[in-house]
Amino acid sequence: MRDTADRARSQAVPQEPDDARSLLAALIALPGSGLRSVIRSAAMTPGRLTIIAIGLAVLTALASITASLAVRDRSDTMAELTERREPLAAAAQQVYRALSDADATAASAFLATGEEPAELRQRYEDDIAMAGSSLSKAASDPAATLRMTAQIDVISQQLPVYTGLVETARANNRQGFPVGASYLREASALMRSVILPAAEELYRTDTERVAEQQDDAGGFPVLAMLVVVALLAALVSTQRYLTRRTNRVLNVGLVLATVAIGIGVLWSVAALTVQSVLIGAGKDDGTEQVDLLVKARIAALKARADETLTLVARGDGGGYEQEFILLSSRLAGDDGSGGWLAEVKATATDGTRLASEVSAAQDSAVQWLRAHADVRELDNAGDYGDAVRLAIDGGNPDGAAVAFVALDDHLRAAIDEARQSFFDDTTAASRALTLLAPGWIVLGVVAALGVGAGIRERLREYR
Amino acid sequence: MSRRLLAVLAGALLLAGCGSAGEPPNLTPRVTAERPTPANAEVSPEIDDVGSAADDCGDPTASLRPKGLATPRGSTMAEIKKRGILRVGVDQNTFLFGFRNPTTGTLEGFDIAIAQEIADALFGDPNRVRFKAITSQQRIDVLRDGAVDIVVRTMTINCERRELIEFSSVYFVAGQRVLVTKRSGYTGLDDLAGKRVCATTGSTSLVNIATAPSQPVPVAVDNWSDCLVLLQQGQVEAISTDDTILAGMAQQDPTTHVVGPRFTSEPYGVGIPKEDTDMVRYVNAVLQEVREDTWQAEYDRWIEPALGPGTPPEPTYE
Repeated sequence: MRDTADRARSQAVPQEPDDARSLLAALIALPGSGLRSVIRSAAMTPGRLTIIAIGLAVLTALASITASLAVRDRSDTMAELTERREPLAAAAQQVYRALSDADATAASAFLATGEEPAELRQRYEDDIAMAGSSLSKAASDPAATLRMTAQIDVISQQLPVYTGLVETARANNRQGFPVGASYLREASALMRSVILPAAEELYRTDTERVAEQQDDAGGFPVLAMLVVVALLAALVSTQRYLTRRTNRVLNVGLVLATVAIGIGVLWSVAALTVQSVLIGAGKDDGTEQVDLLVKARIAALKARADETLTLVARGDGGGYEQEFILLSSRLAGDDGSGGWLAEVKATATDGTRLASEVSAAQDSAVQWLRAHADVRELDNAGDYGDAVRLAIDGGNPDGAAVAFVALDDHLRAAIDEARQSFFDDTTAASRALTLLAPGWIVLGVVAALGVGAGIRERLREYR
Repeated sequence: MSRRLLAVLAGALLLAGCGSAGEPPNLTPRVTAERPTPANAEVSPEIDDVGSAADDCGDPTASLRPKGLATPRGSTMAEIKKRGILRVGVDQNTFLFGFRNPTTGTLEGFDIAIAQEIADALFGDPNRVRFKAITSQQRIDVLRDGAVDIVVRTMTINCERRELIEFSSVYFVAGQRVLVTKRSGYTGLDDLAGKRVCATTGSTSLVNIATAPSQPVPVAVDNWSDCLVLLQQGQVEAISTDDTILAGMAQQDPTTHVVGPRFTSEPYGVGIPKEDTDMVRYVNAVLQEVREDTWQAEYDRWIEPALGPGTPPEPTYE
């Protein structure tokens, strides 16, 4: 009984797919029959003309929309560059700089005899505050990679530990306990071996992303260009076909369409050329200079910390001095006329503020290296007190402190200047593209109308 | 039929309601704080075996007999007088012996006082000294290349060193002991089996820790103060070195104290270049006076509060 029911069911089942199959066949046949009817009508001239008109209109719409989107995309890329990417890189740079400066300043303040100088304390506290608020800015990047987040994590976790160690050092130092110097050196070691490398990595990643985005914004929009060229070719060959068919030299509508698309092409080429030149300028005179200047500034700060830590170490600071020599030669060469400063100087245009700031920085570097040599000479000869005074006295115009602060100020001004050029160039590049995106839509509409009008004129001749 | 359908539907709804849709992202995975350590701190470092072959020079503390405070022409002392300043290699980091007072910016301590006594004898002015801060490792080198005239820096007289430089008579006898926190209850190195004990890299104290019968774990750092940092951060259980240095640390941290017996004897002498034998006799003459005169006052000022009363060591001469 049950068996028969099953059999009946199994017999009934195949019937359904049979219906479905015929439906599917009809569906597949539909484009085929459509194509056949199109081919049939295309064999006759009026039908062919309609198809050409539709094809041209579709191609026009496609070309103008693609071009418009490509332009919009670039404008967005540039807006993001000036409004988000570069500020993020600048924030990362601030973190890096503020932390290096805190390290150098804490050591200077430590060296002062008696009460800690209020201005050094202030500078240290400002650095820590600056580092904290720049860090939260740098951390606000929604597109941050895992690696970047990891670096931010390291800094956020270790910065409070660092400040704790510095305060322990101060408290001990105030009581005259030599263990204070050990705490300070431990703090500095933490800063240099853990926190600063993370800050550097973060800064480096952010800077690389700026460069990538600049390349993106300056690249050639291949797809849009291909579609536009295809459209132009189609327009030209349609006109040649019509000329052959009707012996009329020009079709006003199609000429109008061709001219509209031609204007779009010329406009785009001009605007894109101007834009990519400006983006390039923003890179060469802006971000690349900023990068070199930041490297120089950080090297200067680290070297300054080395200079003071050599004195804090009190006879045990040979390692710091070696690092000073290495960093200062990277910064300014062995005599103050080489290194990164000279590299920036070589690429800066003469007569600009950037060039003058970099020259001033070079002069300060020479003065600092001279003062440093004096400090080392005094300390090596055993005049520790005089060495410390020469190293940290902010009132001595020949001292290391004054020369270093001047160097740091000039480098900061130079970085601001280079950032400004980046911003100016990139904003100008962005302006070069204004109106081009809506322009393409307008030109596309004009071209489509031209195509329609032109073909309709011909079609009318067949009625 | 429809009842069965309802049951199935109810079951499906129930399942959907019960089943968890996963967990919310964990915003604070367990983060553990990592304590920083002083630069170059190293647990169980490789320790160079200190040459015991040189330990057969008789009594290394036997110095040259003093011959009064005369400074004849052509002598080392006359040269120093001509220069107008005595150059002394000292420590700036060892509390109570040689350290820089951050309030006044001047060097102070027992070693500094000894150096000033020698300057006073030469010039009649204890301040005609140029102190050069040096590390323990530099002590012999600065004497050999003539960067300083003498070294007064908690320097133990031993046979190995006497092959390279001369020493004055003993001006202080220290001994290795152990510094621990008062709360720990440790009473000596014997209690510290398997525990971390700190000393500076390259010091004999480190070797003594590594070879102690209770087998503590030696931890090496650059600077004695770094040991105190490690102790305060709870990363070592004890510090072991000369009680003089430990006394300085106990003064900086009232929660610590020096415990156990002295298990080594460290006679301190003034280091002098090997060829300046006239200077050795001169310094010994000065020390002779110091023992009778200012030694006790300086001891009571610097050392007595931490290590209790003491008396000047008797000199031995060849």
